[in-house]
Amino acid sequence: MLNKTLWNKRSTRETLSGYLFMTPAIVVLGIFLIIPVIFTIVLAFYRVQLLGEISFRFAGFKNFVRMGSDERVWIALQNTVEYVAIVVPIQTILAIVLALILNTQIKGKSWFRVAFFLPTVTSSAVLTLIFMWIYNTNGLLNSFLSFLRLPTYNWLGDPDVALKGIMLMNIWATAPLFMVIYLAALQDIPESLYEAASIDGATPWEKFWCITLPFLKPVTFFVIVMGIIGTFQLFDQSYIFSGGSGGPNNATLTIVLLIYQYAFKNLDMGYALALTLMLALVIMTVTLIQRSLFKEESFD
Amino acid sequence: MKKLLSSLAFSALLLLTTACRSRDQNEGTIEITLSGWQSNPIESQLLEKVIDQFEAKYPNIKVKHEVINSQYMDVIKTRLIGDVAPDVFYLDAFEAPLLMKFEVLEPLNSYIKPEFNISDFEPTLINAFKRNEKIYGIPKDFSTLALFYDQTAFAKADIKQPPKTWNELIQYSKKLTRSEPDGKPNRYGFGITPELPRQQFIIQAFGGKLVDRNNYAAFATPESLKGLQLVIEQYRRDRSSAQPSDVGASSGDDMLGQGRVAMLLSGAWSIPYFKETFPNLKFATAEVPTINGRKGTMAYTVAYVMNRKSTHKEAAWKLIEYLTSEAVMKTSGNQGFALPSRRSVLAELQSDRTSLYAPLIAGAKYATTWQAGETLPTILTNFDNQFVSALIGQQSLKDAMQKAQDTANREIYLSN
Amino acid sequence: MIAKSARSWVWLLYIALAVYAFITFIPFAWALSASFKSLPEISSGGTNFIPKAFTLDNYKTIFLQEPLFGRWLINSIIIAVTVTLFNLLFNSMAGYALARITFPGKQFLFFLVLAVLVVPGQITLLPKFLILKSLGWLNSYQGLIAPAIVNATFIFMMRQFFLNFPKELEEAAALDGLNRFETFFQVVMPLAKPALAAQTIFIFMGSWNEFLLPLVVMSNPEMFTLPLGLNAFKGQYVTYWNYIMAASMIFTLPALAIYAFFNRYFIQGVTFTGGKG
Repeated sequence: MLNKTLWNKRSTRETLSGYLFMTPAIVVLGIFLIIPVIFTIVLAFYRVQLLGEISFRFAGFKNFVRMGSDERVWIALQNTVEYVAIVVPIQTILAIVLALILNTQIKGKSWFRVAFFLPTVTSSAVLTLIFMWIYNTNGLLNSFLSFLRLPTYNWLGDPDVALKGIMLMNIWATAPLFMVIYLAALQDIPESLYEAASIDGATPWEKFWCITLPFLKPVTFFVIVMGIIGTFQLFDQSYIFSGGSGGPNNATLTIVLLIYQYAFKNLDMGYALALTLMLALVIMTVTLIQRSLFKEESFD
Repeated sequence: MKKLLSSLAFSALLLLTTACRSRDQNEGTIEITLSGWQSNPIESQLLEKVIDQFEAKYPNIKVKHEVINSQYMDVIKTRLIGDVAPDVFYLDAFEAPLLMKFEVLEPLNSYIKPEFNISDFEPTLINAFKRNEKIYGIPKDFSTLALFYDQTAFAKADIKQPPKTWNELIQYSKKLTRSEPDGKPNRYGFGITPELPRQQFIIQAFGGKLVDRNNYAAFATPESLKGLQLVIEQYRRDRSSAQPSDVGASSGDDMLGQGRVAMLLSGAWSIPYFKETFPNLKFATAEVPTINGRKGTMAYTVAYVMNRKSTHKEAAWKLIEYLTSEAVMKTSGNQGFALPSRRSVLAELQSDRTSLYAPLIAGAKYATTWQAGETLPTILTNFDNQFVSALIGQQSLKDAMQKAQDTANREIYLSN
Repeated sequence: MIAKSARSWVWLLYIALAVYAFITFIPFAWALSASFKSLPEISSGGTNFIPKAFTLDNYKTIFLQEPLFGRWLINSIIIAVTVTLFNLLFNSMAGYALARITFPGKQFLFFLVLAVLVVPGQITLLPKFLILKSLGWLNSYQGLIAPAIVNATFIFMMRQFFLNFPKELEEAAALDGLNRFETFFQVVMPLAKPALAAQTIFIFMGSWNEFLLPLVVMSNPEMFTLPLGLNAFKGQYVTYWNYIMAASMIFTLPALAIYAFFNRYFIQGVTFTGGKG
């Protein structure tokens, strides 16, 4: 037995410990991520009945065809697009501006950083409740608006503004997170670049345009994509805001909320899974586009 | 560090082996779960009392009373498909057809004994929980809608009598609407809830109907629109009615309680609620004004039903039987959140014609039960969405209702 | 002249920061103030931040009237703490193996971790529900804990961290006769504290604030986590904003404490997760 080469024994031991170290990850990711993905892909082609007698009936592409004529899917997508178009640019710009200010040699900036970050660490359930309280018809926001002699709104009940209310809350809550990402990126810009630029007689404005912004480009890609993905997965706020209905008049309906409704309200699991698959494809496409763009940028 | 690892591994083992759900503690004692919602804390306390009495009567049965307050039906459905549903639970008549169709409820026919006197129950209520001659639920109580009005506001506007017809209601609403100097109303005449459960009888007032024979939506007809148009016009043209969110209230009841509206259609549950929460409010009730010369109102009923997968069916039935017995209904009926579903108990209430409940009881004769096949939840969502948008003027009522009907029917068709 | 304009610039920046800090704080301050007001004061719709009649009744009422509130708090703590501990251990182990141990199939496993990274959590919701149902784990702690004890993002992060870890330490440990496990727990982990701290914040916050999965897994009120409890609470006390705000404040405190405690690791953590790879 002892003549076995030391090297061989060692490599077996390494392999063994390697797999032992990986076991929890393999088991958990296998059961709760990889199997679910397979489940989703397969069952999206079935009609699944879970209430009472459980039954699976192959449905071919029926679930996918149904999506095309399902108005609520289009409304949810439309809400999401509107949301992306408004929230993502605003929160990104806000995050850059805040990060740039906090990156100057200003006293007490760490305090401001801690303070700004408060909304990001607060649960979306709590934030939604706080904002619902502020959005109340007689609430703080309307009092403030009428004090400024601006028009007031029925933030919770009017389909035209309900989604805007959630957007406002989301920008407020997410911008600080991206601000911190920008701050981290700003630390990586080599000071020598600025020094060299100063020697060449560059104005602060030129430095910003020619050094800072190009450096922030990859991070900005990242932030925008994260913003879009986050938006596609919006659920908590809409659910709590509308009591699970996506109302008023579907104004706060999101794709994930729609999936939840089809699965647990209409008990149409197969269709819900088909919607899930569609959402997954959209998100993964966005992510992959980001990855490829991101790579190119970093190799510049 | 090694210690940390082993203790972590140990706790992992512990977590995976000991299920954290509660188990029956003693041999012989069984625990059954009763789930419901709570429209009022007092109602819940009363039920707890009745349950205590039940446990005293059947010492080997322990009842765990669970209150589910948000999105009740979603929770119940989630639990039914997850096989973790309660043994006995509340079921609104309007959700009953779906659960009866999928046979997740236990038929109760074989449990019902002659002494239980099932024929004492209001037949329309029992019928709401019947499918193919099988009874799936025992109605716990019911309520109709009546007109609630603020007597102080009426006196100030010099109105002696509550409106008898819908035209009168519209006239009175104008008189009762009061504005601040800047022209913004601070009190409206009439409070509305723009939801289908409150509008179905209005759809029917001119001969319209909600669904056709196959349970497809059928409310986008001129007859139905005629009724609904009354609601829209009052809100948009007269500006003498308001919905809760217009005035920062969270329910119709609060609108009346806070003096934001002077009239409201509501049910029995409002009577104790107003007395408790708004003791200064002087209010009275009257029958719902007639529309098109016809009397009409809604009736809502809730039953106790048994989970087909319950492991303690005998005990579950004993609980249902006890909770719906004449004796218990007499005591809980007195608290006034709803009307008793047994005719013998209702008869006693009926004798008092001056009572606040009289108009509600009178309504039972001509009320429309809030129920219509298993497609109703789909119809409800689409109706509510489009009706609100017509109410705030985004589109005409006709377009809105046509859209609601088409969307609902397409969804119903596709999900079959 | 230059100094003067620079100073006015600084003032401008301070004003901008102060305004934004104000915007950040107002909602919290308003909620906090509502939690100390009585219902009549709330309904009257004033805009005073200092309560006219300061009261602690709301907080008392929550714990008295809502007997499950304490239970929800405990559920949330049990789940968030367990999930965090397991993640720290398992993610680090996997990350370490991927960075430092040579074994066949490693490339494939690493690829798998990267692939899983792209799958957003919401997408696995329904199958997770079905799997937990067949395991009989709905309405149980393990139902929420088990799926969350490993996180691909942080496996990746820990791998990056261990890649840059000085090799000499491990070699010294090997010379001392320590095996892989001993090396990992006695030498490597204690030096990974900054990475672990960052992970702690993100995992704990994520678990503490999670809403969607608990919503479908925990349908029994006794098993609710706090966000679900809050939502149910809102359903029950629709009009009682004073209670809802008090409950929200209680809910916010623990996460805030964790944040305050680990705050300095935060930027570091963001850098790790910020996709610098």
